[in-house]
Amino acid sequence: MSVSDEKEKSIFRYLSEYDRRIIYFLLFIVVVGPLISPIAMPISVSPDSKQYYDVLRTLGSNDIVLTVLDTEFSGYMELQSGVIASTRMIIEKESKMAVAISHPEATIIPDILFGALKDLMDAHHYTYGDSYLVLGYIYQNEASVASSAEDFQGFVRQDWQGRPIKGTFLEQVRSWKDISLIVSHTTGILSGSVMNHFALRGTRMIVNCIGGMIPGQKTYLNTGILKAVLPAMRGGAELESLIGIRGLGTKAMDAFTLGHYMLIAFIIIGNIGYFGYARPRAQKARTGG
Amino acid sequence: MPDIIELSIVVVGAFLAMCMFSTLYGKSSPMYALAEESYLGFATGLTIVVNVLYLYNTGIVGIRAGDWVLSFGFLLGFMIVVRIFPKYSYISRIPIAITLGSGLGLGLRTTIFTGFLDQIRGTIIQLFSGSAKTLLYQWTIAICVLFTLPFFLYTVELKGPLGWVAKIGEYLMYISFGASFAQTFMGRLGLFVGFMQYYTVPDWKIPILVLSMIIVLALIVALDKTNLLARLTPEE
Repeated sequence: MSVSDEKEKSIFRYLSEYDRRIIYFLLFIVVVGPLISPIAMPISVSPDSKQYYDVLRTLGSNDIVLTVLDTEFSGYMELQSGVIASTRMIIEKESKMAVAISHPEATIIPDILFGALKDLMDAHHYTYGDSYLVLGYIYQNEASVASSAEDFQGFVRQDWQGRPIKGTFLEQVRSWKDISLIVSHTTGILSGSVMNHFALRGTRMIVNCIGGMIPGQKTYLNTGILKAVLPAMRGGAELESLIGIRGLGTKAMDAFTLGHYMLIAFIIIGNIGYFGYARPRAQKARTGG
Repeated sequence: MPDIIELSIVVVGAFLAMCMFSTLYGKSSPMYALAEESYLGFATGLTIVVNVLYLYNTGIVGIRAGDWVLSFGFLLGFMIVVRIFPKYSYISRIPIAITLGSGLGLGLRTTIFTGFLDQIRGTIIQLFSGSAKTLLYQWTIAICVLFTLPFFLYTVELKGPLGWVAKIGEYLMYISFGASFAQTFMGRLGLFVGFMQYYTVPDWKIPILVLSMIIVLALIVALDKTNLLARLTPEE
């Protein structure tokens, strides 16, 4: 080892070149720790979540809600607190609900969702067929979304188990006009098509989307096509706070907050390493010093 | 206590998930390959079953109900399948062309409003009425749009005042990229937290998760130390 290399054994060099696996390990600890032993940090409610809550609050027992599970199973992990809290509100308002799915992996979600809300459904006599229907994987592409908006009865004839929708509350749904509200829980698979063929025509639509989609969805909120946007897991926690329950979102917020603090810490550490070691070294190499 | 089905789902799921995370070790491993191939197999099987069901529910049921127009969809689908015979593969171009044309028509008809006209309409906003907070938002949108648009003028040289405006627009975009990065990190962390929550709620899942972590980590370190990691990992 040369003398200059030995001189470079500094804290700056370590901060610039440390093993990246340390970050992954710490992230595991920071996330799993608070989930096992919650700290219960306080959360505030953003205007976006309040707007979403206000739209759901307008529902009544005569309204028909189309809940679209526009997500893979992995995406559901991020959206689940918002999905459960939204569905809880729909059940409490005793609105009718049809669940449509746009990804094969999401076909398992209705069982998990309604399993988690079983007590509430029993309390409100919210029964399959009379109050809600699971239509299954009906949204495969834009054409299927457009068909359901134009001629619902011609496109949807039965639920996912093959039971005809004739005689159920969906019999009165002829087109986009007969849907009171669309609640899209989305990772961006077909929410654009649902918006284009339903919301653009006038069906009220709200979106619970993953974090990466929030800036994009806000533009549709500004134009009034969407009525509200629930910002991912944080939004789910805020919605739980608004309806007065301590659900999965609220419980996840400790891990979430600590994860963000950790990112900020590592951005600072990375910058110290960069300005203290990597940048001077690169300049030195350029000038040949 | 959970039933045997639920328990087995959590045990297999936690183990395969930790195998997936083994990629963070920085080296390819047989555990990662096992998890990856398992997912591919599962996803393919599920997709086939669900799509066949889709065809039945939206196609066959409709035809049986008298909506014979739907049979054209099956005919077009069959024409695509003909592609596997090189001699008749040209036939598949017809349904592909129809799909492309109708898809483009469906998309354009609406996107021109949601993605273009309504966005312009949304930018034409009141700048002198509303609360202080609303005014701040409106002015921010207006200024950012005005400064950013010149950056995308490709047919004139950006110099002088126009160059400065475009430069400011560029920096405004950097700010928005930072916000997008933060939102994306929030999203990715949300996925991870949600996933971990699935394996920590209720409490009986925690030992399974921790055990899976320990087993996979011990396996990967042991295989690495004994130089078996590369030898046991299947080639891509």
